[in-house]
Amino acid sequence: MDIEFGPELEAFRREVAEFLDTAPTPEIREAGRKTTSAFAPFEAAIKWQGILNQRGWAAPGWPKQYGGTGWSVEQRYIFAEEYWKRDLPPLLPNGLQMVGPLLIEAGSEEQKARYLPGILSGEDYWTQGYSEPGAGSDLAALKCSAVADGDDYIINGQKIWTTLAHKANRMFMLVRTDGAGKKQQGITFLLLERTDYPGMEIRPIIGLDGIPEQCEVFFDNVRVPQSARVGAENDGWSVAKALLKHERGGSASSPAMYRRLETIRAAASGTPSPHGGTVLDDPVFQRDLGELEAEIAACAAFEKLVISGHPSAADPAMPSLTKVMNSELTQRISVMMTRVAGLEALPLQPEALEVGSTAAPLGSDLELLAMPYYLNSRATTIYAGTNEVQRDLIARTLPTA
Amino acid sequence: MDFTFTSEQEMLRSGLARLLSQTCSFDQRQARLRAGRGHDADVWRQFADMGLLALPFSEAEGGLGGGASDVVAIGELLGRHLVVEPYVGSILLGGKALALAGERAGALLGTVIAGEAVAALAHEERHGIGPLAMLGTTLSESSGTLRLDGDKRMVLDGAEAQVLVVSARQGDRLVLVQVDPAAAGVSITGYTTIDGRRAANLRFAGVSIDPAAVLLDNAEAALDGVIALATLALCAEAVGAMGALLEASSTYGATRKQFGVPIASFQAIAHRLADMKIAWAKANALLLHTTALVEAGKGGAREIALLKAQAGRLGRSLGESAVQVHGGIGMTDELNVGHYHKRILAIEAMLGSTDYHLRRVGAAAA
Ligand SMILES: Cc1cc2nc3c(=O)[nH]c(=O)nc-3n(C[C@H](O)[C@H](O)[C@H](O)COP(=O)(O)OP(=O)(O)OC[C@H]3O[C@@H](n4cnc5c(N)ncnc54)[C@H](O)[C@@H]3O)c2cc1C
Repeated sequence: MDIEFGPELEAFRREVAEFLDTAPTPEIREAGRKTTSAFAPFEAAIKWQGILNQRGWAAPGWPKQYGGTGWSVEQRYIFAEEYWKRDLPPLLPNGLQMVGPLLIEAGSEEQKARYLPGILSGEDYWTQGYSEPGAGSDLAALKCSAVADGDDYIINGQKIWTTLAHKANRMFMLVRTDGAGKKQQGITFLLLERTDYPGMEIRPIIGLDGIPEQCEVFFDNVRVPQSARVGAENDGWSVAKALLKHERGGSASSPAMYRRLETIRAAASGTPSPHGGTVLDDPVFQRDLGELEAEIAACAAFEKLVISGHPSAADPAMPSLTKVMNSELTQRISVMMTRVAGLEALPLQPEALEVGSTAAPLGSDLELLAMPYYLNSRATTIYAGTNEVQRDLIARTLPTA
Repeated sequence: MDFTFTSEQEMLRSGLARLLSQTCSFDQRQARLRAGRGHDADVWRQFADMGLLALPFSEAEGGLGGGASDVVAIGELLGRHLVVEPYVGSILLGGKALALAGERAGALLGTVIAGEAVAALAHEERHGIGPLAMLGTTLSESSGTLRLDGDKRMVLDGAEAQVLVVSARQGDRLVLVQVDPAAAGVSITGYTTIDGRRAANLRFAGVSIDPAAVLLDNAEAALDGVIALATLALCAEAVGAMGALLEASSTYGATRKQFGVPIASFQAIAHRLADMKIAWAKANALLLHTTALVEAGKGGAREIALLKAQAGRLGRSLGESAVQVHGGIGMTDELNVGHYHKRILAIEAMLGSTDYHLRRVGAAAA
């Protein structure tokens, strides 16, 4: 065992820190402070990605030959630590963490050359069109159909919960190409080069936090070229499973959680308590904050085990363990934020929440962010496979009598 | 012992339920909120016509002499229908505080009870509610004139009210003063809350107060009584909202199919629904029991604190479960589920949070 990163990495840490201190514009920093979702404010996040990409740092996890950094896991962890200390907006995940890695693994050479550069630079944003009104947890029940017609497919049907479809210019999706046989067979994976094909209609859905983040997408005889396919026709389920590996793989979320914890502690030390003193002086609050930190510590340790290649990484339950721990901790952190904000979490302040807004918040940043973050975080136990389904998956990896 | 509503109360409830389903459906509510209107003047007039606004005031005050159980009978329905009309703000807080002035409240109280004027009580501060010594708003005397200084938060209907009652500390006494919202030194920042209500932050900077505007001196116990009744009504709303969420979630669980079967047939969902039922049963029982205690003159601060804490924590957990059971659709603004949950969250934060009340109960023997 060795907990140290090694002295040579201190220089690396300084290099990263210096860049992150100077490169982001004020708008990007503001977007970072005002991020109340896994998805940062779109325009600023894309600009930030462009800046990182010029430095070659947009995709720390990609292989070097495709524009990745070639960093070791330690370097990637250090990068995450320095990144989160500065409240920078997270990069939008769909291209960098989903389609990109998938194409690197399973795309044709032509697809890689065509799509990877736009994904890296942020010029192209890919929305994920999987879920349908009747196919959520039971994704394989999807019905949106694609029928071959010459060199094309003709798509009919509907997708829903398609995050940021109204901002995206590309979409990766699952369609049904064969209705006979087992439902997992007959699914095909497509890459759509546009989100404004004739016959395509996108309608944003307003969330609990008042922000349109998800969408409905309707397809009425939408014609796309068959070259858009990844993998073979009717083999989309295994393509999607390969992608899921990237979506749910090892993560470095704990530095961001520690940062939130620090913010909570600072806010609590300036908030008067009805028991006298500040909220941070309240022994009950101290105890609960301690419990939250203990939970984050366990999650952080697990993450480090996984990224360092400890046998935990090979535990078949690992992706589900990571997903459940991260999502439930995110929710607990958000509850703690609303607890510190108290009454001040109740006013709606949509203007003050916008990046670039001149509207001042009624109170502190934490008070402005607590409620939208809490409400948005309710989704973390629903998306990317609900936590009920994850617990089923974990249970299935255990020995049974 | 009898914890049921009387037949008169049941009649009032069915009349109100009819009115609410005609005038305060979820779609009507959302349309009004989108149009930027807070409460609806027509609906408020119909509440007045039904006697709802007069109900909690004594006959001497021009009211109908209703008690705690009447307020709970109404409050539960207001919660169940997600009503945004200012019943708690203008009647149970503003109006009842004004009524503490006795005869001097006179005609002004009449206009509030008639639904013609809106009243507000400015009491909570940045720390919420708490012991008198922590009240930061002060009334002080210098060279024969009274001045008011301080900051109030989350004053329900505080930007719309014509009648503003403000709590302040004068030495070691609590006083209630009436403040003209247009007076020099008063600044009002109005906003909409997550649960579709109007509220405001109020700042008083050297506002001069006419001695005749001091509604009540030594008002601590009297104000506690007002807050206790309003808290009871809020808890009744929370229980009504919890009941509606339980119903919506169990219906959804029985009809939403995944993997070819209703999701309520999965044990994870069935047990979650069962836990929601348990939470509602506990909150509902404590609500009715506490109401009976209060009506018998046996419900004090401790009983109210216990109820408020349970309504807040059980309500929050039930609301979070309702969203989870609904999956993606539970995350949308279009469905009523999230709005019920936000109402419960607002109730939990107002008039003392769960943490605040639990600590008070735990700290002192009964
Ligand atoms: C914020 C957000 C962003 C999203 N982004 C995207 C996106 O970009 N692209 C996309 O394609 N999709 C996206 N989704 C959709 C997401 O993947 C689905 O919401 C999720 O799969 C659940 O499906 P559902 O909403 O239909 O709920 P349902 O599957 O109907 O589930 C309802 C409830 O039943 C439970 N349940 C279902 N099956 C079982 C079972 N077998 N055992 C026990 N319990 C069960 C669930 O856990 C849940 O509590 C997003 C969702 C949200 C909320």
